[in-house]
Formats: sequence, C-alpha cells, structure tokens
Amino acid sequence: MKKELSNEDYVKRMFKSYYLKWRGEPPKEYDRREYAFMLSKKGDMIRHKSFEDWDEMKEFLAKNAPLHAFYSSAYYLQPSAPDMDAKEWIGADLIFDIDVDHIYTPCKENHDKWLCLECGFNGKGMAPEACPSCSSKRIESKTWFCEKCIDIAKEEAIKLVEDFLINDFGFSPTEIEIVFSGRRGFHIHVENDVVKELDQRARREIVDYIKGIGLTLQEKKKRKLLVPPLNAYGWSGRIAKGVYEILNFHEPQKIAEILDFKKTSKIENIVRQILSGLEEAKDYWVLEGEARRIWLKAAEKAIVNKRCEIDERVTTDIKRLIRLPETLHGGTGLIVLKMRTKDLEEFDPYKHAVAFKKGEIKVKIIEMPKITFLDEEWGPYKDEVVEVPLGLAMYLICSDNAVINIEEG
Amino acid sequence: MILSKLDAAIYPFTSLAAKIVEELEANLGIDSILSSDSEILHRSIERIREAIYSRITSVYKKDLDVEILSHPVALLLIKAINNTKLFNLYAEAEKNRVFFNMVNEEVDKILFLAIDGFKWHLKKDGDNILLRFDEYLRASISILDPYWKLVNRKLRGGYVEVTKRDLCRLIAEAYRERIIEKVNKRDEIYVPDRIKPIIEELNKEIEAVLPKVEVTASISISEYNPSAFPPCILKLLEEANEGKNLPHMARFTLATFLISVGKRPEEIIDIFRKLPDFDENKTMYHLRHVAGEIGSRIRYIPPSCATLRTFNLCPSGDELCLKVKHPLTYYSHKLRLMRKMRHEKRAKQ
Repeated sequence: MKKELSNEDYVKRMFKSYYLKWRGEPPKEYDRREYAFMLSKKGDMIRHKSFEDWDEMKEFLAKNAPLHAFYSSAYYLQPSAPDMDAKEWIGADLIFDIDVDHIYTPCKENHDKWLCLECGFNGKGMAPEACPSCSSKRIESKTWFCEKCIDIAKEEAIKLVEDFLINDFGFSPTEIEIVFSGRRGFHIHVENDVVKELDQRARREIVDYIKGIGLTLQEKKKRKLLVPPLNAYGWSGRIAKGVYEILNFHEPQKIAEILDFKKTSKIENIVRQILSGLEEAKDYWVLEGEARRIWLKAAEKAIVNKRCEIDERVTTDIKRLIRLPETLHGGTGLIVLKMRTKDLEEFDPYKHAVAFKKGEIKVKIIEMPKITFLDEEWGPYKDEVVEVPLGLAMYLICSDNAVINIEEG
Repeated sequence: MILSKLDAAIYPFTSLAAKIVEELEANLGIDSILSSDSEILHRSIERIREAIYSRITSVYKKDLDVEILSHPVALLLIKAINNTKLFNLYAEAEKNRVFFNMVNEEVDKILFLAIDGFKWHLKKDGDNILLRFDEYLRASISILDPYWKLVNRKLRGGYVEVTKRDLCRLIAEAYRERIIEKVNKRDEIYVPDRIKPIIEELNKEIEAVLPKVEVTASISISEYNPSAFPPCILKLLEEANEGKNLPHMARFTLATFLISVGKRPEEIIDIFRKLPDFDENKTMYHLRHVAGEIGSRIRYIPPSCATLRTFNLCPSGDELCLKVKHPLTYYSHKLRLMRKMRHEKRAKQ
C-alpha cells in the first residue's frame, strides 16, 4: 500500500539523519545550563532539561531529532529546577541578536510580504508592528534572506564585534563567538567572567552604548560647542569620524539637502571649516554659530550611521533561551552555525550553513524568489514541481514554501 | 601606601578599618561597647542623628577608636530599628562623608582606597584615570545624570576614563551600596535589653521626622508671602538672622518650609549664611537634597505642629494655630484669609 509522506515526517526523518552524526561542541559550563526543545511544529516546548554529560545530549538529539534546540545564556546552580527562582541564577553570558527582521533593508520591498490575520490587510516590504488598518498585532509575514539582507546583517555584526566589543569593551576575539541564527541574522555570545554577573540594568547600559541611546551632544544652553578630535575615545571620536565621512563624501549642495540647511550659499565655507578643523585638531576645539548648527545636525546623522542595530530585549534578558550552536533551525533546515570572527566576511548561509549538501529531490514549490543556493542560481518559481538540491528543498519545506512530492511504498 | 588610623576613621570601607573594628571588638567585648554609658554607643546615635538631619556624617577626631567603632554599632542600631527610609538615609549620609573628605585627597591615595576597599581594576594613563567598565557600571548605575551614562563616557579597551572627582563619587556610591547590602542582609543581630529603650527613643524621633516625606505631592502652594508665615517659622527666621546656632531639627524645618512654599535652594541659602558653622557647599547640598533635586529625589516637607512642640520649636502661636496641625496648613489658611480681607476692603471702597 502506498502512503503519502507528510512534510513533517520527511523533515523529522532528515533531521534524525543529521543528528545521528552530530558532533556539536558543548557551551562553556554546559552542565550549569538549562536546555529546551521543540519536537514538533505544534507541540509544546520541552523545558528545564539539563545534561550532566555531553554524550547524553548527543543521544537526546539523535533520539528525538527536535525541530528547534535552545540553551540558556544563564548559568544556574539547579538548571533543571522547574521554577525559575529555584534554579538559582549564578550568571549569564552577554548575548547580542542582530536580526534583519528588525532592520530596515530596501530589498524587503522585493521579497517580503505580510498579512494581518485579523482583517486580511496585507502589504509588501517590512512587516509593521501593528496592522495599519485594524491595529491588530497578529501579523504573519513571509520573508526571505537575500544577498543584500545577508550583507547588511554581516556589516552590523562586524561593526558590533570590531568597533564595539573589541575596541571599546576590550573583549578578546577568543571570548567572542559568532553564530548564524539559522534564519535572518547572527547571535553574538561573549563568554567572559567580567560580564557574567552583570545585572539587567548594567546590560541595559551596554545596549544603550551600542545603540547610541542617550548621547548628549552638547551641554544645555551653551552657545559654544566643544568638538572632539577624530581620535577621541568612545562615541566622541565615533561621531567626529561620522561627521567627517558625511561632509567629505558629499557635494556641499547635497549636504545642505541631507541636513535640511536652507542657507545654501554658506554651506561650502562651513563644510570646509569643519573638515579642516577635524583634520588639524589634536584636542577638543570650539564651534559657534551656523557651523555649530551644521555640526549638530551632521552628528545626529553620524550616530545613525555608526550605531549598531541590536535587539535590546535579547541582551537585557539575563535568563534568555538562545539557539544551541550546530543544531538545526526547524524553520529553514539550516545549521545554527558557529564561526570565528575572521570567517564572518566570507560567510554565505546558503552554502556554509547547509546541512544536506548532497542529492536532489523533486518538490512542489508554492512560491520562491530567485536565490543563490550552493553557488547556483535557482528560481523564481511559483506553483510548480521542480527538482532542486536537497538542502534547498529542506529550506523550502521547513519554511512552508514547498511540499514534498514523493510517495512511499 | 600606609593608611593612618584617621584614614580608617574617615573611610570605614578600608581593610584597616575592618581590622581595627575586629581588634577592638575582641578587646572590649560587645557588652562594654553597648553599655548604656558607652561613648561608642553615644557617638553611634549621634552619627545616625547627623544622617537624619544633616545628610552627612561628621568625623569625630577626638577619639578615633570611638569613631571607628561607631559605624558598625550605628549599623547594628539601624538594623534593630528596621526602617527602610533610615537605611537609605544613613547610607546616603555616609556616602556624602566619604565623598566630601575624599575630594581633598591626593590621586594616588584615592586609587589606593578604591583598590583596598573594593578591589577595583584601575590604571593610570598620564593624567587620566581608567576604571574597568563593569566596575564603573555597578558603581554609577544609580546615578541618573546623563553625565554618568556609559554612552557619554570615553570607553576604550574595556576601561572608562574618569576624573579624580568622578572616582571619588564612584567610590562613595559603591560604599553606599555596600551599606545597603549589609543592612538588608537577614542575619540575626544581638541587641542587649538595656539599650532597647535607646532604640525605642531613636525610633520615635525618626518616625516623627521621616514619614513626612511621602505626602509632598498633595501640597502645592504657589504664592510666596512671608506675612502669612506661621509664628514658628517667623521665629526661626529671626533666630537665623541673629546668627544663633540652630539645632538640626530647626534648620530642617526652616529649609523644608521655605522649599514647600516655592523657594528654590539658591534663593534661601542666604538665610543660613549667618549661622556660626555655615559652609556654602554643604548647606547648598543639604538644601538641594531636601528639595528633592539630588539624592533620593524626594521633596521633604516640614514636621507637623506636634513634632515641633516635641522639639521645643513651637513658640505657642496665635489663634489660627489652634485650628491647624501643620505649619503649611497654617500658611495656606492665612493666605486665604488675607485674600478675603483684601477683597472685602476693595468691596468697601
């Protein structure tokens, strides 16, 4: 008798084959962590698991082949206690989440769609927080992670790691772990004793630092403005460099337009004054009048360019569950891949994070835009049966964009 | 660097202070320290009173052993009294003690105090002092001023640049936190029966002064008219003008009254100028504190008539006094009466 193989059964079978050969490294102090799993799409999350021995983890994964696997950024005395207070928190890694879902990218107009589940209103591009028609927050979106999105996420991750975590916060590259989230971004983990015991308020300050929140550009009621030199430490120097880049990159008329400055006849002189001031200054120097106004406007833009788009909820949560590196993401079938800082620049999720690299399979594709997968271009497809690489088929099936098209005898 | 006994007396968080406390406790025994005629006990009570009324504790230099022991004994009394507002007030006053003394010290000594007392990671880079960022965050997190926000600081290689004055403030804040941690710790405390009356009495005094801090929001008087002031306030103003040495409670009453009727600290500091122990910086600090501009951000209001009577600050007033229970109520009633009289006068004309 022939039986149709469901998407879910197929995914489970493939995940199992992956986990039978799984060799993921344990996180630091793995026996102090809480683990959580989702075994099926509609099932509940299994929480409060702990593993004394990493081999038990390997057995668990091989036996259950979970769709999603998480571990706690926190270290606990009793990681398996069902009550959060009874777990006895000891500390937590510092984690950052860079997710293209929360960053505006122009390419989303081409490949993202959203639908309000309440009233049916829909649109293209980045999903709004609430439906513009009925203000419901029940919004479903269909998103893709295109090359442009990947580049933007990588740029943010590099900025975070190099400019902020290494330069300003002084972490060593060996304490920083970059992990592809498995979908549209990166998780950055800092495992270091200095940060381990920081509370939520302290972590909030770190977030504000990285996002440039609460910066005071000038003292209130002061007419003269103290301008930092290019090599100043912290945000002062960052703003000076940002302003320099803006003023040096564009033509004066364009600058007047960007900064919404009406006196276009004056702009050229002011730009020259600020640029030469920045080039010569070794210490703080003074700006007044119109030049001061231009500086302040340019500084606002510079902050936007230089800050890093991290999700503050993730970093300030000291009991967060985060994806376990080297496991599979059930929404994409891709590996939650751990990498070194130097590998980030070359990273291509549709090549390096593909778990099933060999073989092709026929699937019925509902819809997909053109993407590059394992160095080859595929699509766009709509409502057609196509033979594609196994990894791409898994990606499409896991993200509900295709159905399996084989029968089992 | 070698710290002196005076340093240990001024800075209770030093390892030297801890060592001296330990030795003295072993030599004297807790019973003699807590005997009702003990000088240490008296100084401890005084230290708590200073915290309540002056927002800063002084350094008693005549007997350094007494001064050093008075801090742990004061903490013991505070734990026995068990009043959250008092915890915070004492911690705040001790913080101020440390800060105002430390700003006059040499940089190297301040660095030494931070490393000795809090094990901080500090570096010197030319004239700059660098403090490890996690330690900076813990010490600065309760300060609301944007100046202290990490984003506005020079951060490099995990270290935050701070000035000498900043470092003093951070040490003082860390010391305040440490006191609050200590009094919040739920451990058994030993209080001999014979000092229970003293605690009782202190508690009454605190109850009389401290609960007033929460009702401020309900009172708002915008008009300023000294001819409507109650007799007690007028008398205090007169005495201040004569340069009399007013007690803590009198100064507190005067300052809170004037602030409650809409005066700002800088407008009333001159009133205190003639007092024998006037210190511009300290007075300004206290005024801004009771005005809620700094510190706990609570605007205090003056004590009630009953409290003023207890402290002999009520000059047995006029007829209106008989109808009110609080000097601010007197003031608002009197204002209304005066307005009414003006209207009537105008009507007659």
